[in-house]
Amino acid sequence: MQVTSALPIAKMVGANRLVLGNGIVHVVGDARASAEEEKKVRRQLVEKALEALRAED
Amino acid sequence: MPLTLAIHPITEIHFAERLRLDGTILFVDIDELRRLVLEDSAIESVDFQIARPGESCRAGPVFDIVEPRAKAPGGSPDWPGILSAPETAGHGTTHVLEGAAATVLREQSPGEARGATGYVLEMSGEAAADSCYAKLQHLIVVIRTRDDLAVHARQRAYRLAQMKVAVHLARAALDAIPEKTQVFDIAGGEDRAALPRVAYVGQIFSRQRKPEPEEQIIYGADTDGMVPTLLHPNEWLDGAIATSYHTSIGGAETYFYQNNPVVVELYRRHQAREINFVGTVATIASADNFDRERNCHYAANLVKWALRADAAVLTKFGGGVPHTDLSETARLLECSGIKTAVQVTDLARDHRVESALLFNFPEVDAIVCIGGNSTHWRLPAVQRVIAANSGLAELLAGPFEIESHNVIGVANQQGASRLRSMVY
Amino acid sequence: MRIVHYLNQFFGGLGGEEKAGALLEARDGAVGPGKLLEQLLGAEARVVLTLVCGDNYALENQESMIESALEKAREANAELLVAGPCFLAGRYGMAAGALCAAVQSKIGIPVITGMARENPGADLYRESLFIIDSGDNAAKMREVLTKMAQLAEKLIRNESIGFPKDEGYIPRGLIRDQFVEKTAAERLVDMVLAKAKGEPFESEMSPTTFRPVQMPPGLKDLRKAKLMLITDGGLVPKGNPDKIQGSAATRWGSYSIKNCDDLKGEDYEISHGGYDAQYVRQDPDRLVPLDVMRELEQEGVIGELCDEFISTSGLANPLSNTRRMGREMAEQAKRLGIDAIILTST
Repeated sequence: MQVTSALPIAKMVGANRLVLGNGIVHVVGDARASAEEEKKVRRQLVEKALEALRAED
Repeated sequence: MPLTLAIHPITEIHFAERLRLDGTILFVDIDELRRLVLEDSAIESVDFQIARPGESCRAGPVFDIVEPRAKAPGGSPDWPGILSAPETAGHGTTHVLEGAAATVLREQSPGEARGATGYVLEMSGEAAADSCYAKLQHLIVVIRTRDDLAVHARQRAYRLAQMKVAVHLARAALDAIPEKTQVFDIAGGEDRAALPRVAYVGQIFSRQRKPEPEEQIIYGADTDGMVPTLLHPNEWLDGAIATSYHTSIGGAETYFYQNNPVVVELYRRHQAREINFVGTVATIASADNFDRERNCHYAANLVKWALRADAAVLTKFGGGVPHTDLSETARLLECSGIKTAVQVTDLARDHRVESALLFNFPEVDAIVCIGGNSTHWRLPAVQRVIAANSGLAELLAGPFEIESHNVIGVANQQGASRLRSMVY
Repeated sequence: MRIVHYLNQFFGGLGGEEKAGALLEARDGAVGPGKLLEQLLGAEARVVLTLVCGDNYALENQESMIESALEKAREANAELLVAGPCFLAGRYGMAAGALCAAVQSKIGIPVITGMARENPGADLYRESLFIIDSGDNAAKMREVLTKMAQLAEKLIRNESIGFPKDEGYIPRGLIRDQFVEKTAAERLVDMVLAKAKGEPFESEMSPTTFRPVQMPPGLKDLRKAKLMLITDGGLVPKGNPDKIQGSAATRWGSYSIKNCDDLKGEDYEISHGGYDAQYVRQDPDRLVPLDVMRELEQEGVIGELCDEFISTSGLANPLSNTRRMGREMAEQAKRLGIDAIILTST
């Protein structure tokens, strides 16, 4: 599956499993947050990614 | 809010003791110019050179090109937010030295996607034949800033110096009789009620990068946190917008905000009573999906509800990500019944149509594509290279290969380009 | 001018569908439409050899048929290869296209063919060849051969070839620049006005469609799955050992994260010019989420994280590169027994 902030492009080329990333410059991070917060954000995104891998359609 | 441009064509520039305009010949007092530029303690020294069309001459890397213009008293101020208080630009009389340019060079090559040479100003030869800027008389301003400056402070110094020089030159024309005057006014909407209402949406920045601290783009402010904004067409033409310090692929120079090709063309059709030019939106390309959705909807709403347009033309600032914002805004407009035409660059590095676009919206089907990827030249060695230091001069001496994106004035994204992608 | 002409069993005079299994044979001189071709190309032109092959045979034995045909073309000192025209005949079109492509790349002489747009051979080969748009009506043979002859002459004389509507070939899906009279601004306003008034207009580029990728079934049990991380954000070990280019990258690399549970900025650099990489440089986990994946692995949420992550740069990268790299990466992943991939993109 793909984590990206450029959803329209990914959809256009036909990516099937997509999760929206947290911005171009830190797609699975958050430079504005504290280190602890950021880890949480990353974990949440990765968990969503894992969900996508399990999805049937 | 009518704007009057008083046009003074310039055919030659020379250095002299006093600043004066004699017919179409501009005499420039470089001692005074030097004094003005060195008022900024960030600048250690400055040199001036003249580059003329047809000369075997090359200058680079170019920071920006500005047309010398000066406001007559009684109208809006010169470069509001940069040289003056940020009052609304675009009314009164502006004296224009048509055919001239104040061009500032960088001291370092911009690197990254723009390559070692950055934007090159080419004054003769094949590449020049297709560049808008090769036909102008350039006063090249070679600035050397203090060594200890941060990059943004350096660029700010360039911007300030450039605007001062451009205004100073044009003040030579303040008391001269212009060859012609042009009046820009979008009044008269009432008697154009049956005509299509057309708007312009122009990106002025891309958030793939953060703006530099205090980067002066819109009324002297940077675009951080900016949402799409309504602007009167005259604001583009008269100093509200300066180009970002970061170069946009193919080029976006302040010169073509002053001479905004889309605004000028829409005005032409308005005056010819073919359209009702209802206004413009300045917008930004976004850093992430949320920002994109927010800005595209915002811009589309302004066009629909504030400008009540029937049609809109859109241009972008930058490469692929801005391409996505451009097409998404156009799609939203089309979905609300507003017809669009968009200007894109050819994103394909492999010359295949399949790779040229990053969007596939059936509604966004009126596309102007200014290409650029299959045009390149071998630049010859030239007699004179103008650059800030010997390292850069050596790099630019030639001969070397260059793409159209890097010859300033060829693949311009503000609407001035005559390049077109042909599918075969 | 010495011409070699390729025909199928029907145009070669062997018969109809019942002769589709006919082996490749070589005949001296022109056969069938080849005679007209000779006339059209002028007194200097001669079809020195005609190659005739059954459509089924050509399809089922493509490689060896082409090898053989190449040999014969070389022996005949061919200066031009003409195939067809094939009209709508699909197997014929594919054979003609394959042969022309092989001759073009292996012998290097000009090649020309003709087929209908809908011919599957057109789809496969229009990008690499000039294929005259023949339409589907074989009664137009003379017209089609005339266009083929005209284009062939230009190719032989190495003249610049015009656009599809002037020369009659199927648009190849390629782009080249041209300087035109009007500025982009003028073209934009012209176009939007035509569109607003409901008048016809010619867009300078058309949106393209991508064939949908079939979605493999979802993972049944994450706890048993082996996952791999891939990125196109250009994260590479310091020094960029594989010299992955920042733009239009043709290479990708696979980098060890064995015994590593956190990516450190000082160990990596970014080769990618299209985004502000400062945040990823500070903490590469912001692009390749290794720290979280290790946690999930230790907690048993996922079975295993692959010992390597794969990286390249997606910036300004043509499909011709990325399609290939994607396939290669998939092969690598299969070799390593990977069940699923998380691709993180800027």
